[in-house]
Amino acid sequence: MTVVINGRDDFTLENYRRVSEVGEPVAIGPRAREAMGAARADFIRLLESDRTQFIYGVTSSLGPHAKVTIPPEQQRAHARAFEFRGNWARGFGGGYLDERVVRGIIFARLANFVAGNSKARPVIAERLAALLDGPLPPVPLDGEVGAGEALPLAHVLRGFRLDDLEEGEANPVVNGSPVSAALAADAALRAAPRLDRAERALALSAAAFGVPADAYAEELGELWGDADEAAALAALRRHLSGMSPGRRQAGPVPASYLILGRVLGQAHRAVAGLTEAARVSLRSVTDNPVYLPPDAAHPLGQAFSTGGFHNAMVYPALNALAAVWADLTLLAGRHVTALRAADPAAGPGPELSALAEEARAAAMPTLLPAAVNDPQDDVSSPAFGAYRREATAAECLDRAIALLAGEAGRALDAAGRRPAPPVRDPLQRVRAARKGPDPA
Amino acid sequence: MTVVLDTRDDFTLANFRRVCYGGEAVQLGEQARRALAAAGRGGTPPGEAGAASARAAPAGAGSADSGGRYLDEAVVRGILFARLAGCVSGHTAVRLTAAERVAALLGSPAPRVPSGGPAGPDEAAVMAAALAGVRRDDLGEAERRALAEPAPCPAALAADTALRSRHRLESAQAICALSIEAFGAPLGAYDAALDDLWGDAHEAAVLRALRRHLDGAGTDGRRFHQAPVSYRIIPRVLGQAHRAVAAVEKAAATALRAVTGDVLLAGRVLPNGGFHNGMAYPAMNALSAAWADLALIAERQVTALNTAETSGLPVNLAVPGAPTGTYAYGWAASSYAEEARAAAAPALLPAAACDPRSDVLSPAFSAHRRERRAAECLDGVFAILVIVCSQALFVTNRSPAGPLRPLLSFARSVFPPIDGTGVRDLSADGQSLQQALAAAAVTGRLGSTAP
Repeated sequence: MTVVINGRDDFTLENYRRVSEVGEPVAIGPRAREAMGAARADFIRLLESDRTQFIYGVTSSLGPHAKVTIPPEQQRAHARAFEFRGNWARGFGGGYLDERVVRGIIFARLANFVAGNSKARPVIAERLAALLDGPLPPVPLDGEVGAGEALPLAHVLRGFRLDDLEEGEANPVVNGSPVSAALAADAALRAAPRLDRAERALALSAAAFGVPADAYAEELGELWGDADEAAALAALRRHLSGMSPGRRQAGPVPASYLILGRVLGQAHRAVAGLTEAARVSLRSVTDNPVYLPPDAAHPLGQAFSTGGFHNAMVYPALNALAAVWADLTLLAGRHVTALRAADPAAGPGPELSALAEEARAAAMPTLLPAAVNDPQDDVSSPAFGAYRREATAAECLDRAIALLAGEAGRALDAAGRRPAPPVRDPLQRVRAARKGPDPA
Repeated sequence: MTVVLDTRDDFTLANFRRVCYGGEAVQLGEQARRALAAAGRGGTPPGEAGAASARAAPAGAGSADSGGRYLDEAVVRGILFARLAGCVSGHTAVRLTAAERVAALLGSPAPRVPSGGPAGPDEAAVMAAALAGVRRDDLGEAERRALAEPAPCPAALAADTALRSRHRLESAQAICALSIEAFGAPLGAYDAALDDLWGDAHEAAVLRALRRHLDGAGTDGRRFHQAPVSYRIIPRVLGQAHRAVAAVEKAAATALRAVTGDVLLAGRVLPNGGFHNGMAYPAMNALSAAWADLALIAERQVTALNTAETSGLPVNLAVPGAPTGTYAYGWAASSYAEEARAAAAPALLPAAACDPRSDVLSPAFSAHRRERRAAECLDGVFAILVIVCSQALFVTNRSPAGPLRPLLSFARSVFPPIDGTGVRDLSADGQSLQQALAAAAVTGRLGSTAP
């Protein structure tokens, strides 16, 4: 199948998944081609009306040299000399982005184009889309923090043909914030299944401990008054349904079991927050400069500089998710401690403590970088750092819930009880894989 | 005035403000009294020791080391106010008499509650200290436990944070608009078309606010080329702050009206995890991070304004007789930004376990303290930005857009331009402006700027 894009509304998470993960190609639809063609003609009229007006990257130089004007006769050559390929690809080390994310970046890149805001010809968008038909260059994870996202985009676009670009067509390829959009979408697509796995493992643990079902009663959803906590409670009840009654441990139920609905509720909220950040970012027009088609007040349209290249929504959403994974990793460790309270044999406690500490370290938020590149590019984007930390925290959680599921199964075996059907199959897989990374 | 509390829906942020900042008393309404009376008809609830008791301390346990400091009275009043939310629907073991005793505490000065020194207070100890004035010797065990259940702490902390953050954000928007004017940044970066092109409601709200502040701004003297990144990305960074404020408001509104602790339903007791608020501390964490990022942006703008090669303004924004102008404020701004970043380290579930039963503690007080510190630093760096903006306009004899003039007048009434005359304590004047910003975070009044 091919994903056909005609407008910004086609940049959905589902289409992202098809292109990024399934590997489907992208075709520029007729409505998008028409919009781009019309906008390009309008833009050229605007440019020809005064080639000395300031249009960043078109009639001016770039970055710290933005105030340097490019003479009209040099403006086309200026577009073709734009060094966004190899010469701007400076990062190295730290491993590489998965190719699915690189595909996602190219997909997200096209949102700038399809409504004509890029001021580029349709052929440029089609050329971008065609990159998805071949192998893509590696994008190092280290050294990608700068103003906007030009550094990682330079790696992504190593194979992009440059020699026939016209005025105003270079910037929309390399400016904007499609990398943040893709990183958010990639993490969001993994977050929901991960949360489901964690809920299953924690429910299995609650079953093994013998937590009274009332602790996750439906009525609590209304009494607490939060939709995300209600969803978490419902998930716990669903996973526990059919569990044979029994109480393995004597004495009171530890707080780490009772608060599951509240902590998982925050996880639901964080996953929803990241999903929303991905949804908004994928369809955003973030180019600098951005072109607006003609209207009554501006018969030639307008091209002006913006800060669209800085996505301020994605890295905080990734930070929030990393913090949630860290808290859930801690809870998994607490559960294992509770399940083994009466068992003197060594268990996975030390490993779980280490995982919790690593996850907590990864939950330190990425903020706007303190370092300055130059007086003009005085704030950088921290999206890469946030993506990597979330991935580290997620890896810790994956391992922790695998260990927890194994311990819970052991506890159920010791009590001669069977888990509820919704968590029985995952448990069997964990047992089969012994210490596999993923219980679901 | 008195706030009448009838149902959980009366536990709003607006009523929180009236009771906790305005000092108004509360009164249990008829509907609440009926529900509370019905809750008591079954007598003391049976069942095992409730979950809430896991974190409930006995009366008098609030004697933890205070480090000589105490919680703000508004927070203590907020804890008592939030305590009543769980009661008025009759879902807890708290009966009418006990609820009236709690409500009565809000008719007089709040008890002093130790703030716990560098480690912060324990929620159970805070509850015990806040309720020390409530007679409990005639209450049943379950009722005593229900009173002491600690979830009102994070509810009050979130509400306190929410009420200060909305006005702080409004001030930030006005000051950023003043900075745009002082720098002469092109206005296209705040164009109405971006509302849809970026497609985010929070960023759109900020863009609208900036345009309101910049209404009537002229184009003469504005730079022809694009401004530094720190100016162009302001709507997006403020948009994230807007999102964080909305999240903490939601967390507060939800927590204030929640029924927490052991719940009575149809004659049975439901022990549960309501005592742990999983929403408030992440929301406060996110706000701290947003303040830290804003502090960095403000520091960058201070640097841009102070740097003649970047701004095109006079060197150091200086006048004869005061050659260093506002230069050193850039250094001071850096220190505030760094402190704000340190405060943005998130409060997570504490790694240490108290005991096998109370094996997860609440980080709400830590998150609240860090947010307060980040906000204090933000006020500091924004005070400096206002000073530098005022000076930039002064040395070039310019006025900002009309809606910003009251803000500029107010700022200059606290911190007049450095004009080279007289002897001034610039440190003290700067602190006065920081304190004015902190006060405006509560009152919402900062030079009568456009809302």
